[in-house]
Amino acid sequence: MAGRAIWKGNIHFGVVDFPVKLHTAVRDERIPFHLLHKRDHVKLKQQMVCASEKTPVPAEEQTRGFELEEGKYILVDPEELEQAEPEDSRVIEVHEFVKSGQIDPIYHERAYYLEPDSPSKGYNVLAESLREMDVEGICTWTMRKRSYLGALQIVGKILRLNTLRYADEVIAAQSLDLPDIALSEKELKIGSDLINQLTAPFEPQKFQNEHQKKLQHLIDQKARGEKIAILRPRRLRPTKSDKLLEALEASLKKVA
Amino acid sequence: MKDRRPVQLPAKLSPTKGQAAPTQGIWSGTISFSLVAIPVQVVRAIEPGRVSFRMLHNKDYSPLLRRMFCPKDGKMVSPDETIRGYEIGPDKYILVTDEELESVSPERSRTIEIVEFIDMKAVDSIYYDHPYYLVPAKGGEKAYRLLAEVMRRTDKAGLAKFVMGEREYLVAVKSMAGALSLITLHYSDEILPDTEILPGADIAPKEGPAASAEKDRMKKIIQGMTARFNPDRYANERREKIVKLLEKKMKKGATVEAPQVEEEEGEGPADLVAALEESMRKLKKGGR
Repeated sequence: MAGRAIWKGNIHFGVVDFPVKLHTAVRDERIPFHLLHKRDHVKLKQQMVCASEKTPVPAEEQTRGFELEEGKYILVDPEELEQAEPEDSRVIEVHEFVKSGQIDPIYHERAYYLEPDSPSKGYNVLAESLREMDVEGICTWTMRKRSYLGALQIVGKILRLNTLRYADEVIAAQSLDLPDIALSEKELKIGSDLINQLTAPFEPQKFQNEHQKKLQHLIDQKARGEKIAILRPRRLRPTKSDKLLEALEASLKKVA
Repeated sequence: MKDRRPVQLPAKLSPTKGQAAPTQGIWSGTISFSLVAIPVQVVRAIEPGRVSFRMLHNKDYSPLLRRMFCPKDGKMVSPDETIRGYEIGPDKYILVTDEELESVSPERSRTIEIVEFIDMKAVDSIYYDHPYYLVPAKGGEKAYRLLAEVMRRTDKAGLAKFVMGEREYLVAVKSMAGALSLITLHYSDEILPDTEILPGADIAPKEGPAASAEKDRMKKIIQGMTARFNPDRYANERREKIVKLLEKKMKKGATVEAPQVEEEEGEGPADLVAALEESMRKLKKGGR
């Protein structure tokens, strides 16, 4: 079942305005671990420690500073930060629409389902229009004192709101400074053929988190006091640059 | 990196300036497809956009360091004195070492094996979780370049599973501006069904001329508002306000100086929330 509604707002642009409820669409599953002291297995806590005195500093002796240069700070108190918090509002303002598929996955943060909050025609008219035009809306809103950027989409019958990362949070691929290496047409051709041969439809149900189950099994084994066999992770031998074409050809032969 | 220009705020706060390239790998191993194996590192693709603050001691403005602390001894504990524990009862834990953790899926702990290629457009965005970049390690540059270029030409992405820290990730590896990005995906059983969102509220769209006139009007409005996606157009309002506040305070000369201290390596930003999130992420991803 979908999660409880976590927030209510109004989709708004032009004369369009209708109320929606946000529902969580994704739930994370992971095995929780604590960090313990090796010696006596006491659960450790995080603590702020003074760099000069090397002693824990209680909250009331902590203050925030913006580092201008090494060792030089502008102090900022909580009241000042509070003033920088955006005003809460219930408006999910749609600023523009873009063709679906233009937003790189790198920007996507989290998906929410939108439920119509009161029977409103607007919801369905917008949903159908988005589907038929194959576009999504770029919108901003403020939820719990945070400004969000998001994409309004239609999938199936339900409108979704995906939160997006701000452009200045994304590290540009160009900054990685990757070397430009010449490739022969032959290498590219065989590489493309190989990829096409290995292409399959996306079926996420095929992939289970087996590791999670194995990890649970390991914990159970240890709980029973069984000994764990240590297996070393294997590192593959990298394909040498001058053997790349050979490896591609052999791969293609294997799958064709 | 410290910015030493005294009269202006550091360049990283400039709204037009992108984030600096990541320097530290968070995972190293091999990415493979069929018989080709490429040594790579996983690096960050996201840098919290929030203005980051350091926490300081209000007595002398010494920076504060986030450390693991043993409440019983009242002492700090260094990373090599810590161990992972799975709680089975109050103060009862099953201990798990790094080696045991790697033993769980040894074949995936150092290899991102692309098992098939997919059309990235076929992936519902609900599956996207967290993005990273892959960068080639020494000797892997050419094969890396080939994989990026061939995936760009065919418009395909590689699907793989690999283990980083305590988790096994399903990932899509795709080409992005000459680089390989790695997007972790949610497993399908982590996606909540949407079928119960609409009961009762599932108002069937009305048929007839009135309904279609309404849709035509909506489409016209949308048409008039359609543009190309440009994420630079949207700035984080809170960040802008904080930058203005800092500029104002700096003009007034409201700065303090901290005593010289030997700083330990690897101390990140100290904005409380950012730092907490960072450490939670590290803890989840199996770092210390």
